[in-house]
Formats: sequence, C-alpha cells, structure tokens
Amino acid sequence: MSDLHREIKLLIIDALGLEDISADDIGDNQTLFGEGLGLDSVDALELGLAIQKKYGIKIDADAKDTRNHFTNVASLAAFVTAKQAA
Amino acid sequence: MSEINFNIAQWRAWAPGLDSVDAWQAWSRQPVALPGSDAAPDVSFLPAMQRRRLSRLARMAFSVGWPLAEGRKNLPLVFISRHGETPRTFEILSDLAGEQPLSPTQFSLSVHNAIIGLWSIMRGETSEMTALAAAGDGLEHGMLEAAALLAEGAPAVLLVITEEQPPEAYSAWVDDVPFPYAVGLLLTPGTDWRLTLNSAPQALSKAQWPHALNLLQTLLGQQTLCQHAWKNRVWTWQRNP
Repeated sequence: MSDLHREIKLLIIDALGLEDISADDIGDNQTLFGEGLGLDSVDALELGLAIQKKYGIKIDADAKDTRNHFTNVASLAAFVTAKQAA
Repeated sequence: MSEINFNIAQWRAWAPGLDSVDAWQAWSRQPVALPGSDAAPDVSFLPAMQRRRLSRLARMAFSVGWPLAEGRKNLPLVFISRHGETPRTFEILSDLAGEQPLSPTQFSLSVHNAIIGLWSIMRGETSEMTALAAAGDGLEHGMLEAAALLAEGAPAVLLVITEEQPPEAYSAWVDDVPFPYAVGLLLTPGTDWRLTLNSAPQALSKAQWPHALNLLQTLLGQQTLCQHAWKNRVWTWQRNP
C-alpha cells in the first residue's frame, strides 16, 4: 500500500466516521459506494469536501468523470496525484 | 378547561450516568445536577454503518425509544426537543463565520426532523412521525399530538423528549438544560393519566429540573399530581387512583 493510498484510506475513515474499520480493511480497488464499502451519497459529498480541503484541489461536482475518480482508493489516489501535478 | 386521557404503558430515560431504573430511582429521591460529561448511551443494537453519523442527541433518542418500540410495528412517533442539534448548528455557523465549506453530513442532520427521518429508515417505520420544538411546554404539546393519534385509532404512540447540552456560546440564552437527557414514553389508550390545561392567574414558580424529569419523579414516586407552567398555561398531570 503506497503512502498516498494509506493516507486516503485514513481520510475516508476519519471524514466519514467509520468507527469499526481500519485502513487495512479497505482494499485499493474495493468499490467505495453502494456495493463494496457501502458508502452513500452524503458520504460522497463529505469525502469530496475532505479531499478538497486536504489536498487543496478543486473538484467539479458536475464533471462527468468525477464519478469515476471516486470509484475506489486507487482511482482517488491517481486523481489526487494528477491534480497536484497540474 | 380541556383534558386528555391516556396510559403510560412503559418508559425509559437516559442521562450521563443514569441508565437504569435503579439509577433514576436514586436520582429521583435526591435530584442533583450531573457533572459535565461526554458520555453517550450505547446504541450498539444499530449496525455500525448506521450509527456512525448519530449525534449524542440522536443516540439518546434511539436509546430510550428503541426498546419501547421493540416488537411493535406501525408505531407513530412524536419527537420533542426545544433546542435540537445545537452542537451541529454551532459547528456549521462556526464554519460559515470562518468562510469554510460546510459539511454536508452536519448540514443534512442539523434539521429538526433529521432524527425521525433516521428512525424511519433504520426501523423501516412509515407511520406518522412528528418533530416538535415548542418552547417551554413541548412535552405537553407532544402529549396533545400523541392523544390525537390515539384518538384516531393508533394502538400505541411513542413519545421521545430529549435535550442536548448546548455549546457554551449559547449559555446566556439557554437555561433549561442542566445536563443532557432523554425520556421515552410508550403511550396507550386509557384513563390512568389525565392531563388538563388551565390558564393561570399568576405564574407558578419555575421548576428546578426539566419538566420531563419532574414527570419521571412522579412516575417513580407516590405522588399523583405533577404541574407545569409556561407563560399563562398551567398543565396538570393527574394519575388516577
């Protein structure tokens, strides 16, 4: 698990109040929303906010690829890396 | 004079350190202000994913309401809180003042009927539910609502009244929450209790404890009468022999 992956997992746990889950319980490619981890639409908004705050990046809620960036931890890490390099 | 009649089939109550009938009995004999505490009631009967967003106010409501609703389908709920989710409101306002983006979770759960919404989702309950904030005699206005539901044919109505200790910033305005508490009453049709409303020529002296806890003292003790005044309204709870 890369540092960024781990960091994002901890951010998910902290921002969404996942009391009973540790970073090791979240797979890099595990689906976050609906099936998989079982997060919902309020979580999506909350996680988007947490990512923007932590990494100082802007997320366009209406952009059609935003949904894909939030698929799993690996896609989020790739998105954060790309945004920070831009 | 107007009156309503009902039975209090069961009750539950919670405050920090007071989570059993024995504990409430002891408190009721010798009421004291409880020391400040972050303690929250156990709601481990809810799945972790469902309880993670619950504030203490919501946890208190669930902890007194859930056991009373056990095994009952189609149980209408009257939820009463004068001040509601003041810690959430304060956090949202603080973020606004600091020009920070607002937390969607805080925002969506700060509204007064958020808790009954969660109750409905978690229990799959679609009966009538009401969230009231009615100043100093919310309990009685909630009783009126419950009595109307009973009169309409509900076999039982769940009433939950709860208050959270407001953040320090509100202390100049909120003087009726000495400590966080929740009381749940399972109400059924009957004539064990009579609640009457009169107008008062002069106001009764202000009670020391929240009225829901005074009622609890009456429930636990031998007294048959419990009075509560707010503005020019005097409410009399009478336990019939």
